[in-house]
Amino acid sequence: MKTKILLEEDQMPKKWYNIQADLPSPLAPDLHPATHKPVGPDDLKAIFPMELIRQEVSTDRYIDIPQEVQEVLHLWRPSPLYRAHRLEKFLKTPAKIYYKWEGVSPAGSHKTNTSIPQAYYNMKAGIERIATETGAGQWGSALAFATMLYDLDCTIYMVRSSYTQKPYRKSMMHVWGAECIPSPSTKTNSGKAVLDKDPDTPGALGIAISEAVEDAATHADTNYALGSVLNHVCLHQTIIGQECREQLAMVDDYPDVVIGCVGGGSNFAGISFPFAGDKMTGKHKDVDIIGVEPASCPTLTKGVFTYDFGDVAGLTPLLMMYTLGHDFIPPSMHAGGLRYHGDSPIVSRLVHDGVARAVAYHQSEVFDAAQTFARTEGIIVAPETAHAVKGAIDEAMKCKKTGEDKTILFNCSGHGNFDMSAYDAFYSGQLVDYEYPDELIKEAIGRIPKIQ
Amino acid sequence: MKRIGLIVNPVAGMGGSVGLKGTDGNVEEARRRGAVPHATDRATAALGRLAGKTDLVFITCSGSMGADALKGAGITDFEEVYRYTGESSQADTKNAVKAFLKNGVDLVLFCGGDGTARDVFDITGRDVPLLGIPAGVKMYSAVFAVDPASAADLVQAFDRHRLRDAEVMDVDEDAYRANTLKTRLYGIARTPALAGKTQAAKAVYEEADEERAKAAIAQFVDEIMLRGTLYIIGAGTTTEAIARRLGIKKTLLGVDAVRDRRLVATDCDEKTLLALADKYPDTRIILSPIGAQGFVLGRGNQQISAALVRKVGIKNLIVIATPHKLAEIKHLYIDSGDPDLDREFGDSLQVISGYRIAQRKKIHH
Repeated sequence: MKTKILLEEDQMPKKWYNIQADLPSPLAPDLHPATHKPVGPDDLKAIFPMELIRQEVSTDRYIDIPQEVQEVLHLWRPSPLYRAHRLEKFLKTPAKIYYKWEGVSPAGSHKTNTSIPQAYYNMKAGIERIATETGAGQWGSALAFATMLYDLDCTIYMVRSSYTQKPYRKSMMHVWGAECIPSPSTKTNSGKAVLDKDPDTPGALGIAISEAVEDAATHADTNYALGSVLNHVCLHQTIIGQECREQLAMVDDYPDVVIGCVGGGSNFAGISFPFAGDKMTGKHKDVDIIGVEPASCPTLTKGVFTYDFGDVAGLTPLLMMYTLGHDFIPPSMHAGGLRYHGDSPIVSRLVHDGVARAVAYHQSEVFDAAQTFARTEGIIVAPETAHAVKGAIDEAMKCKKTGEDKTILFNCSGHGNFDMSAYDAFYSGQLVDYEYPDELIKEAIGRIPKIQ
Repeated sequence: MKRIGLIVNPVAGMGGSVGLKGTDGNVEEARRRGAVPHATDRATAALGRLAGKTDLVFITCSGSMGADALKGAGITDFEEVYRYTGESSQADTKNAVKAFLKNGVDLVLFCGGDGTARDVFDITGRDVPLLGIPAGVKMYSAVFAVDPASAADLVQAFDRHRLRDAEVMDVDEDAYRANTLKTRLYGIARTPALAGKTQAAKAVYEEADEERAKAAIAQFVDEIMLRGTLYIIGAGTTTEAIARRLGIKKTLLGVDAVRDRRLVATDCDEKTLLALADKYPDTRIILSPIGAQGFVLGRGNQQISAALVRKVGIKNLIVIATPHKLAEIKHLYIDSGDPDLDREFGDSLQVISGYRIAQRKKIHH
């Protein structure tokens, strides 16, 4: 029985799968924050290259991966698919567990699958610099790597508290030649405004987004890049699920259950969209697709499906998605990990339509699962990824009860080598089970903008 | 240089070993029953870890009220600013702390129980922080370190900018001996906070600074308060932050009632609260765990009785606490006096710990 299922380089998918082609009806359009009219390409071209804007709204089922992008992806792709024999044995489950290991990329996570094409299209459009934000640093390091390959400058606004507490992600960005600035900074008006009010602020992802967008919008040679949520980001990640489908076919298998963790939704999109497409087109109607999110930020399980802003300040277009409200994280707070108030509009739509479903877990049970995984399969996963591990273990334990030998596939999206302080907290009993007080909030709040 | 005022209540804890449940006013009886003083040993255990630290200066009392423990720990270079004769008394404790304050101290380190904590707090108030080396029979106050070694760690890491609020509890000794625990919130002292305890995890969702954390909780509670609903607000500085945000003045150590951002009643007793809950069918209770053990009901908030909670409904209880407080307490305790009600709370409780964020905390039954 094989442990690693490997594809040759020339078997790597040459096209991205665009799930918008297989949705039963089109996605609700993004709306302009001021006019509430659907946004057009002109509204976005100040910060995105035209090719990415085209991909954002395309309904073509497949979109070619440029040759130059494929060549870079070959540095680590196709990534291995593992059969978790040791985990199965430990759990004494009749289920077959497979995991796709995305931690083999240079930056250590799936994020490079989209940072490479995004940097490429910006280079092609004559852009010289990309500005972005990063919370804990995974996206920042992935984009630093990609911009270096295409000889672009890169400015990364990193949430100040992470900047001081997580020095090694910042070090990676420096190695790859990017400029990493603690946010809020004095480089932007939005940063200055926050610092004037509160010089000791720990920063927040929402503030860092505003700074990066402002930087891009006010410099002609500079564009903005986002590491999750948007349709083109999800599109670039579908290479993961397509490879999985090929790899499973090599061992005559197809998943009964597909699992990924969800923050903004891109790694979940990556593993699940090709299978969700199979489900919607009737090829595999019964595949169960599960997004796993933290109880502290239960967007899909407790949020509302409505139009909301993508950032705290309300500068981005309104997206139709599950949301906890764009003011979920107040400016004075820092957030890391999977804590984003909204979710990818496509992932939201799939959950809303019942194509996928979502579950939420508390931190300590998630780390307990990560420990089990590290002690059976060896890999120490990122805290975000640990949510998917927990989801997979729970499904496998259900099979143990029912005696079903289901095939479970999950996305092992990144390693946790820079997150050991979180593991330390788990072992010292300091890990806190955060949750979102949704009942108190639902009763009292109607602040999400109502646009229909 | 940190100036530490050290005071040992030499008879603290003596009653406990011989079944007296407290030593105040019972030293003779405790001795007769064969109790041996051990507070000095507890103090020495903590001080032994601080011997040789050149940034600490100890200011203390004569003999078994401090000097003996320091000498036992090998610390000989200290200032003795208070002398007593005969059996040390409550008055000696208070006078000694007065002498410390006169000579200037950054922290009062005391070894004793709840009684000692109250005597020290009577003099320091919130102006000078205090920290207890646990040696008493009852230690419901939140000013105590877990053990002598932890007390030493806290002294060593002491930073006057890193303090937290800590309740000082008053236990009715006569009732306690008759096996009923009657506690009330005596005051809220300042005590050293553990550094970094709430910061270690990857996702830091909450405010690192306690005052910011209180403000974030208050902001959230303000946001979820409904028009026309009566809010019964328990004691403490976390709940006080809500009142401050609403622009009203709250009874720090008592229970108030608020409706539509206005005070309806202040410093209410149980009877008043029951009457209010009758008048306003839509009533919520907002309270914060009290003391070292983290009591949600039964200590320090007695006005919020089992009968009141039943009337209002468990689901209408909103429990709030700063991440710092929650990091200090392992479990929550509920002792409403009605064991059936206590059980209805289940195994865990949601505690609001910041703006739109809560912690799931286990209840110890």
